[in-house]
Amino acid sequence: MRIKKKNQRFHWFMLLPACLFLVVFLLAPLVMMFVLSFRDVDSMMNTLQSYSLSQYLHVFTTDAYVKAIGSTVWVALQTTVICLLMAYPAAYVLVKAPHPRLRAFFYILLVSPLLTSVVIRTFAWIVLLSQNGLINGMLIDLHLIEKPLSMLWNMNAVIIAYVQVMLPFAVLPIATSLTDMDRHLRPASMSLGAGRIRTFFHVTLPLTIPGMITGAIIVFSLAAGSYITPLLVGGRMQPLLPLSIYQQVMQVYNLPLAAAMSFTLLICVLAVVSLLSYLLKRWEARMHA
Amino acid sequence: MRKKSISDRLLSVLIWTAGSLVYLFLTVPVLVIVLSAFSPNAFPEFPPTSFSVRWFHEVVSNPEWMESLRISVILLLIVTPLTVLLGTMASYALARLSFKGKEAVQAFILSPLMIPQVVLGIAMLYLFTAMGFTGSLWALVIGHVIIGFPYVVRTVGVSVSNLDPRLELASMNLGAGPIRTFFRVTLPLIKPGIIAGGVFSAVTSFGEISISLFVSSPQTITIPVRTFNYIEQTFDPSVNAISVIFIIISIIALLIIEKTIGLSKVM
Repeated sequence: MRIKKKNQRFHWFMLLPACLFLVVFLLAPLVMMFVLSFRDVDSMMNTLQSYSLSQYLHVFTTDAYVKAIGSTVWVALQTTVICLLMAYPAAYVLVKAPHPRLRAFFYILLVSPLLTSVVIRTFAWIVLLSQNGLINGMLIDLHLIEKPLSMLWNMNAVIIAYVQVMLPFAVLPIATSLTDMDRHLRPASMSLGAGRIRTFFHVTLPLTIPGMITGAIIVFSLAAGSYITPLLVGGRMQPLLPLSIYQQVMQVYNLPLAAAMSFTLLICVLAVVSLLSYLLKRWEARMHA
Repeated sequence: MRKKSISDRLLSVLIWTAGSLVYLFLTVPVLVIVLSAFSPNAFPEFPPTSFSVRWFHEVVSNPEWMESLRISVILLLIVTPLTVLLGTMASYALARLSFKGKEAVQAFILSPLMIPQVVLGIAMLYLFTAMGFTGSLWALVIGHVIIGFPYVVRTVGVSVSNLDPRLELASMNLGAGPIRTFFRVTLPLIKPGIIAGGVFSAVTSFGEISISLFVSSPQTITIPVRTFNYIEQTFDPSVNAISVIFIIISIIALLIIEKTIGLSKVM
């Protein structure tokens, strides 16, 4: 028992530095920002000492910002759904790869983008989609079009780039739940006479729902909170909350408004993530019942 | 086993085609970058007509890129040991402790991955302005540690969960204290997870942009921040050459992770 106590003290001591670091450099600034979001500003964007709800009122009464909140959530949802639809066959192929070498190859294709900077991966889409980019060049060479199409600087470009940047985060959890799925369940269902399609909808799909929800949580929160990709392929004017926050901080210098927008964004993301986590728990409880 | 019917076979072909197309979609942008980097023209063409290393030469002979490279490397050399230290300790402690509210602490430690990046960025900016840190390299160091160390927590977590706790008990029954046991028994056994986590956080630091863009100053422009500025302001094809360097680094990192704890276990 003495050993156990001594051990515990040692383990608590090891947990301490990371927690302290996060409290000082993550929790403290978030709390400071929360306080800041209730401050007023004067016409020169100086922060005043008084507190009010004016920044939040400003966010929720300005049409452009309300629209930005809606389209941020909408774009993130579209990205999530497209990612899941594309991730499913990719995960299936990864898990069912007949040769370990092929599986390793698929893994490399999946993980290497995650290790490459987002700037670089987004830049590739500029090269592909721009007016004198590859796709336009090929279409003109094939005489399918005469003038280059403008494919950049709109929301579709943002969604395409998002999907490519975030797809691996959706594939990996689905692949994990496909692997974990009892390998005997599928043959069992088929030997009882169910066809492949019925087996898929009644056995495989329900058992991989947790993997899909886990993937959806990651993809949604990344897509709702990024500003680099929309800035580069969508342009500064897209109605997205992260872009408005970036502008308030870097150009308008209205920090309290940026703080209020940040908490609005944080709450939107948390709401969707909590809903998905709740669904995940309910589904798992049902599966194990 | 039932004999495969024609419709079953058709379904298989369909799934494999769809799956392969998705992998192609993931890979195409990388191929495009490599293609453009070795093309002598400012705009990429397909199929490529000629080969040149002109853009690589331009990067190497540009003092701005070299200065950014210096800063990014210094940053990585400070950030990686810090993330490894903090992450390994936290991950090991979490695996061994059991207490009420452990899940909450775990969620708190992994939270930097879930908080919107733009929010994280301005929170850092605000903190460092309040502390009078803006423009110093330390602002970048702290931002990168926050982003990087959850990865170490994860990879080390994989190694710790594979570790038999009885080995540690045996060591302690033989009279070694918890500290000595940790360094002599635990540490050598979880080394693969630590190496993989270190590589992960080094690569993350090298490519980090969301926080860096907010807290970097003209004296501390990292490679991704400079790349971002080049892309936003001009169409400079030397960015292609930079990208190829990034891709090569990510492949090396991948090989190290695969050799240490295996790719399939990291994510």
